[in-house]
Amino acid sequence: MYRFWQIFKMDLGNNFKNPILINYNTVFAIAMILIMGYLSSGNYTNGIDSYNYYAVAFLIFGMLEGAMTATNCFMERDIKKPNLRILYSPCGRFPVYFSKIAASFVFDYVLHAALCFVFVPMGINLGGWNLGWLLLMMAPVEFASAALGVLFCCIFHCEETASSILSLFVSIFAFLGGAFFSLDGMGAALAFASRLSPVKWLIDAFFAVIYDGNLSVVAPVLLISTAVGALLTFGCAKTFRTEDYL
Amino acid sequence: MENLLEVQQLSKNFKENCVLDHISFHVGKGEILCLLGPNGAGKSTTINILLGLLRRDGGIISYNGKKIDRNLRSYKQKLGVVPQDLALYEELSAERNARFFTALYGLRGAKLDAAVEEALTFAGLADRRNDKVKTFSGGMKRRLNIACAIAHHPELVVMDEPTVGIDPQSRNHILTSIKKLQQNGMTVLYTTHYMEEVEEISSRIIIIDHGRIIAEGTKEKLKEDIQSEKRYHIELEEGCSVPAEGFYAVEGVREVKSAGGHIDIVSVRGVENLDRIISLISDGGAHIRNISSEEASLETVFLKLTGRKLRD
Repeated sequence: MYRFWQIFKMDLGNNFKNPILINYNTVFAIAMILIMGYLSSGNYTNGIDSYNYYAVAFLIFGMLEGAMTATNCFMERDIKKPNLRILYSPCGRFPVYFSKIAASFVFDYVLHAALCFVFVPMGINLGGWNLGWLLLMMAPVEFASAALGVLFCCIFHCEETASSILSLFVSIFAFLGGAFFSLDGMGAALAFASRLSPVKWLIDAFFAVIYDGNLSVVAPVLLISTAVGALLTFGCAKTFRTEDYL
Repeated sequence: MENLLEVQQLSKNFKENCVLDHISFHVGKGEILCLLGPNGAGKSTTINILLGLLRRDGGIISYNGKKIDRNLRSYKQKLGVVPQDLALYEELSAERNARFFTALYGLRGAKLDAAVEEALTFAGLADRRNDKVKTFSGGMKRRLNIACAIAHHPELVVMDEPTVGIDPQSRNHILTSIKKLQQNGMTVLYTTHYMEEVEEISSRIIIIDHGRIIAEGTKEKLKEDIQSEKRYHIELEEGCSVPAEGFYAVEGVREVKSAGGHIDIVSVRGVENLDRIISLISDGGAHIRNISSEEASLETVFLKLTGRKLRD
């Protein structure tokens, strides 16, 4: 455990020293919300306004993009070499990939939780005290995203390839899920396609908690995303081979 | 000498390509064993298998008489590894790097402090401990790379070409440090393709090429094996040539290569035949510009064994 803790601290520290990762998860997200909120302010008249919509949509988009934090943490060129030294040590394989998952999860979760607390004074509705439930639902989703990023690295053995493919998948899911604009009013086919995206499920669940105070969605989100996270971590255990790091 | 590490019939294939062909060797306690070979010979593959990073297709590796597969963690605990590429966090200080990598071997508290202090002092970096690695010269980074590998006092230090791309001063510092490690009781397995490093530090040498061990022994023994021969290099005046066949009639001559006015003759040591060789050239109407003879060196040992120069 002592060794795992050392690696975890190092990985977490490396993430927090990466200005690109920090800006992408904070400044970029806020800028996107402001731009998209402003551009589409005429499209959202009743109930949820555009800023409120994009705050939640980009929060969820950012959570899924957290997979890229994990690929960076696991196989980024400058980090990969010292990571190799961890493999020389008697730590075993598990702490190597699991600390990347854990560190990426904590990093993304802290930044996205901080974003939520920035949104509230900006007038974004996050459900008042129900924000606690949102923060709870975010945790296993962030974990599953981090595990997905590491799994892709284990499969493709290369950060660039893993990130490119992940980015493509996340963008498609985000587009279908309505992170950029809702597809619900664009015909039955697109509305159906939209429902296939996990981004859509999460947006709907978050809005159910925020606007309806409907907490019945919390348990399914927690259970499903925890199960997915565990499955992806198991996938990492099965696919991670030390020679891929050479 | 007691064996620390023993490798038997180690083999590795990458698809159809045989990279290691059933090689066997041992590393004796307290020695500096140099694994010498050109790029692509199989040195790094051997090292990566020994470090447990690469799977082998066959063979047995034992450490202190115990198979490493069943005791991988305790085996790794006794290893220090200096990889070919710098394995350091550039954004962190030298001390932070050394502390982190040493802590991975279970050291903590005062023991960790002392081990880090000792390693940084050993590498001559104690006064730069708080500086970020990215501000270091190539030689300093190489020295820190070594410090991070030895701080936990390993029994066996595995060094994979640790002096690649550094200035002669830093190389000398590193080679002197390696000899100090040996004096401190550590065993060193050192891979390189630099002959002069092997000449300077090795207790024993294994020459590896195309995944096979082609020679093994101390540098003195390896040289002795070809001391039974001497080599003449003869340079003729421009336009002169002498057919190689004629030299085989001279007593003691074993091998002759003649091309473009240059003649290389390998002869049995102890047979005085230089005057006969010169006469043969003069009788053929050729004029000699220069003659030299060559003492045996590891370079000539390698050339003789593989038919090519080490850096080919």
